Amino acid sequence: MSVTISPVYLFNVERGQPEAAELWDAITDQQLADWEAEWIPELFKALQKLRRAGVERKHWPQSRHWDWRRKAAALQGILAHQGFSVMCNGLTQGMMFVDTTTKRCRVESQKSKNLVYVKFVENAPWNRKELLFDPPRYRGIGSILMRAAVELSHSIGFKGRVGLHSLPQSNGFYANACGMTDLGVDPDPDYSPMRYFEMTSEQAVAFVEKGGKS
Amino acid sequence: MRIEITKDWCIKMARLEDDYEIGAGAIAVDPVFDGEKAAADTSEQSEPSIAFGRLLRLMRRSQGLSVEKLADDAKVEMEELVGIEEDTHFRPKIRTVYQIATYFNLPQANLLQVARLTTPRDPRLTEEAVRFAARSEPVVALTKEERAALDAFVTVLSERK
Amino acid sequence: MSLSKRTMTLNLTDAEMQVLEELCARKDLSKTALLRQALRLYQIVETRLEKGDKLFFEDDKKEKAEVMML
Repeated sequence: MSVTISPVYLFNVERGQPEAAELWDAITDQQLADWEAEWIPELFKALQKLRRAGVERKHWPQSRHWDWRRKAAALQGILAHQGFSVMCNGLTQGMMFVDTTTKRCRVESQKSKNLVYVKFVENAPWNRKELLFDPPRYRGIGSILMRAAVELSHSIGFKGRVGLHSLPQSNGFYANACGMTDLGVDPDPDYSPMRYFEMTSEQAVAFVEKGGKS
Repeated sequence: MRIEITKDWCIKMARLEDDYEIGAGAIAVDPVFDGEKAAADTSEQSEPSIAFGRLLRLMRRSQGLSVEKLADDAKVEMEELVGIEEDTHFRPKIRTVYQIATYFNLPQANLLQVARLTTPRDPRLTEEAVRFAARSEPVVALTKEERAALDAFVTVLSERK
Repeated sequence: MSLSKRTMTLNLTDAEMQVLEELCARKDLSKTALLRQALRLYQIVETRLEKGDKLFFEDDKKEKAEVMML
């Protein structure tokens, strides 16, 4: 598998300064191994902590998470499914799988046009304040991965259009930080009650410009 | 593909991103810690883990524990322990493996791999698991207890209604 | 996905070129972008068919018609 690595930066919260990182245009065995051996145990420990603390959490079927573990292996080699990962300090900090082929836009102004659909994006557990990691280790993974999706969209002629189903706790990020259009809860039982967000070409431009003319 | 993102962009956006959650996608949901089977697809043939079942049985017996006692002490379901020991195709819950690891003071990640719940990433561990499974096959005669339990169960089985 | 650096010359009939141009106009994609999309779609379809899955179209009235079979 050929991987192209682009240099990026994350914000190291504890040190209060940027730290050099890498954006990979693939999810390889290395990321999957990190996910299984580093992410999952931390995730379980954190969920255990939350449960004991009596924090109310929406319970989703565990099986859906593990479906992906096997699917990821199957998705490798399929052109339509492009993976991205963020590496820092030798560890996988974020992962994303997109579908460049089977989804279409829903926003009226770009209805039925091709877009890059984010099938899956996740931050490493230790970067998530919601999992009681306070302070989180690194910030900025979400923005980098969104930028990757937008740039991919441009490169294949889709003019920056991106779509995704947000987990309830992530609605704020996609609505506010990314400036995407919120089309509301998707009635499809496969996604409900996740909200569907879509980024128009104009919003893609705005998103990139938000970080300064780069 | 090469993607050019400046350091300034990364840092500025990291500030705006702050501590937002970013998870998205139907498969990004956090797992429930207990209650659900680890196997996503029950129609899938799970890979056999002879080593894990054998390990559990031998560790349990080395400490003189019955299945019920271990289940109680380790706070796992008895059905899970029986399944692990008796059925090589049984797929235990992640939580069960975690509890067992904690109870016997073994590294969780390694036990998960031996239990075939994660893809093997340590080939040496896989090798050792196979070796262990092969060497630990019992060939001794039944103990008094085993004989008694066997006889009692055979009696029940043989009862014709 | 690396930088696109492998080049190919594609010979099409007049009819094929016309369809290509129409699709490009309709989908607002360049010829290259459209054909790459077609390749991605084709791989997905073939992968599923090879597994034994079937491909259906469903019309408004929910009457299925089998489109492809191995």
